[in-house]
Amino acid sequence: MRTPLLSTQNLEIGYINGKPARKVVGSELNLELYQGEFVCLVGPNGAGKSTLLKTLTGLLPLLGGEVFLGGKRLAQFTRKELANEISVVLTSPIEVGAMTVNELVAMGRFPFTGLFDRMSQRDWEVVQQSLEMVGMTGFEERMVHKLSDGERQKVMIARALAQEPRILVLDEPTAYLDLPGRVSIMNLLHELARYHDKTVLTSTHDLDLAMRSADRFWLMSPVGKVVSGAPEDLVLSREFQRVFTRDRISFDLMNGNFKVADSSEGQVCLQGDGEARVWTERALQRIGYSVSFTNEACIGLRVAVKPVESGFVWTVVEGEAVNEFFDIESLLTHLRRLTI
Amino acid sequence: MNLASINKPGVNRTGVFILLGLLLLAVVALNLTLGSVRIPLKDILRVLFGQGGVKDSWVFIIQDYRLPKIVTAILAGMALGASGLQMQTMFRNPLADPFILGINSGASLGVAIAIMGAGLAGGLFIPALNLAGDLGLVAAASLGAGAVMGLILLVGRRVNNPTTLLILGLMFGHATSALVSLLIYFSAPEKVKAYSIWSFGAFNGVTWDQLQVLLPVILFALGILAFLPKGLNALLLGEDYAKTMGLNVSRLRLLVLISASILSGAITAFCGPIGFIGVAVPHIARNLLKTSNHKLLIPAVILIGAIVAVMADLVAQMPGSQFVLPINVVTSLFGAPFVLWIVLKRKRGATTFNV
Repeated sequence: MRTPLLSTQNLEIGYINGKPARKVVGSELNLELYQGEFVCLVGPNGAGKSTLLKTLTGLLPLLGGEVFLGGKRLAQFTRKELANEISVVLTSPIEVGAMTVNELVAMGRFPFTGLFDRMSQRDWEVVQQSLEMVGMTGFEERMVHKLSDGERQKVMIARALAQEPRILVLDEPTAYLDLPGRVSIMNLLHELARYHDKTVLTSTHDLDLAMRSADRFWLMSPVGKVVSGAPEDLVLSREFQRVFTRDRISFDLMNGNFKVADSSEGQVCLQGDGEARVWTERALQRIGYSVSFTNEACIGLRVAVKPVESGFVWTVVEGEAVNEFFDIESLLTHLRRLTI
Repeated sequence: MNLASINKPGVNRTGVFILLGLLLLAVVALNLTLGSVRIPLKDILRVLFGQGGVKDSWVFIIQDYRLPKIVTAILAGMALGASGLQMQTMFRNPLADPFILGINSGASLGVAIAIMGAGLAGGLFIPALNLAGDLGLVAAASLGAGAVMGLILLVGRRVNNPTTLLILGLMFGHATSALVSLLIYFSAPEKVKAYSIWSFGAFNGVTWDQLQVLLPVILFALGILAFLPKGLNALLLGEDYAKTMGLNVSRLRLLVLISASILSGAITAFCGPIGFIGVAVPHIARNLLKTSNHKLLIPAVILIGAIVAVMADLVAQMPGSQFVLPINVVTSLFGAPFVLWIVLKRKRGATTFNV
């Protein structure tokens, strides 16, 4: 039996100074975090993900229950001791003014450098290694405010690594990034856990990316309960869908993504193979058709796609009328005209 | 963060510091020579090095007027620059300084109570005859400054918006000014006059005896600052980051509160309220050194503060004329446009301490 690095017992989280005086955001949380795993905390907006992370990192007091770090109660840690256990990357972009990447990452050595912030040889080595781990070697003398958002977030992760914590906690590190930036950060976190044996806990809204890279999900529901498990298990047990499904938005069990349920235009039969079929299906769903692939049910509209020399050809059969198109755009234009 | 990183490509920081040192020497020399009475540099040097053969009145002017005035200006500039820098970092606000946040008003209130307050009556201040009186004044001003700053910290804890914080400071300033007006209303005319002369602000009223109080007080408060660069740097990342790095944020706040209150309080007590040096100097330092690292900024604001204050005094003397302007008039005339420039220069999405 493995012992967890971090565990919670009937943890109750929330705020103390609000109105009402005690606002409980989540309760009865029994969670565990193990060495070397990458855990994504997912859940709808306002479920209390940030509150949970802030409580675990000691930035918010816990309202009830216990958090254990290596067998010791969280409350028994001083700030300084806690800095050796957990380091963080937060959502909001930092505003540090004129500072080099090296200077920023060196701040991760804060717990080690004494009153006057003397950096030893070893401290600089750790800074260098941290930059290597996030793939930012060569950026040492660049100014932080001149980096792209994605690069800056990597530097912030390097800073957190330089603190040499047992656990890395990130609060929506991809929130301000473009899609390639998101992929790159999530992949980086995955690699840190997988190849460097780091323990990483992050909250994120990028469900698709998270599902592909996380070892485990902490799935937080709007009522502040958390279920933990492998992403795939949570999908198969329908827990995942229960938390995220809204009116008209449903989770596609086969494709593993969310879609807007809209079949206002009725049914269409699609024949074809490979990538052409996948992308045609998406296009048809977008304009409100529900797509089926069985031949028997085909009464009414039929679309067939097959490859030709110059690309693909789409054939639309509607009763007597047969039309051919050479791209999806004109296919959709035609179908829209049909429905008017 | 180490010595190796002092010099960056494009910015020769050692050079900047050397230039600043030379500039300080130059403005001090200029300030010694210029004034309503013209004294040749040769004679000034003789006085400074204790050689005879100079007119007695000139010796007096240099030894007991110009020199203490320059030393006061240097101390004031150092103190205001340093307290401005600390406050800008702590409040995460590029416009924070003792004057703008109403902390000077707090110091003024302290002084007003000391000068005009019923119980303490009996001319604590003017003429400030004794050590106890001077120390009392410094204490009163520092306490007043500390009280307002503490209040702003308390109320401003939850304020993230720089503008809101400034309005907060403005309101505190108004409230304390109202209290001062109330004191003025109920005070004897001669005390009111003493207070209003003080409130114009000047470097030239400070005697060597008073400097014996002012100098150690300022050095003590600057000494506190020597322990703070690491914490202030961490605070640049924001309070949450700083906490998770192991910084005791409350203790740092307390130390900044003590240091900045004493710095601005003591200077306000002896020189009156002086505006804009505190806000402008840290910006000049950041722009010259292209860094927000406090290990470099703290010595820089101390040097630049001294230079700016001595230069302001030079302008206040209006060389060639018999008039002397109140120092606050000079700093405000130059400082207000500077602050406007900072505000207008700030782009959307620009960092708080952009350079």
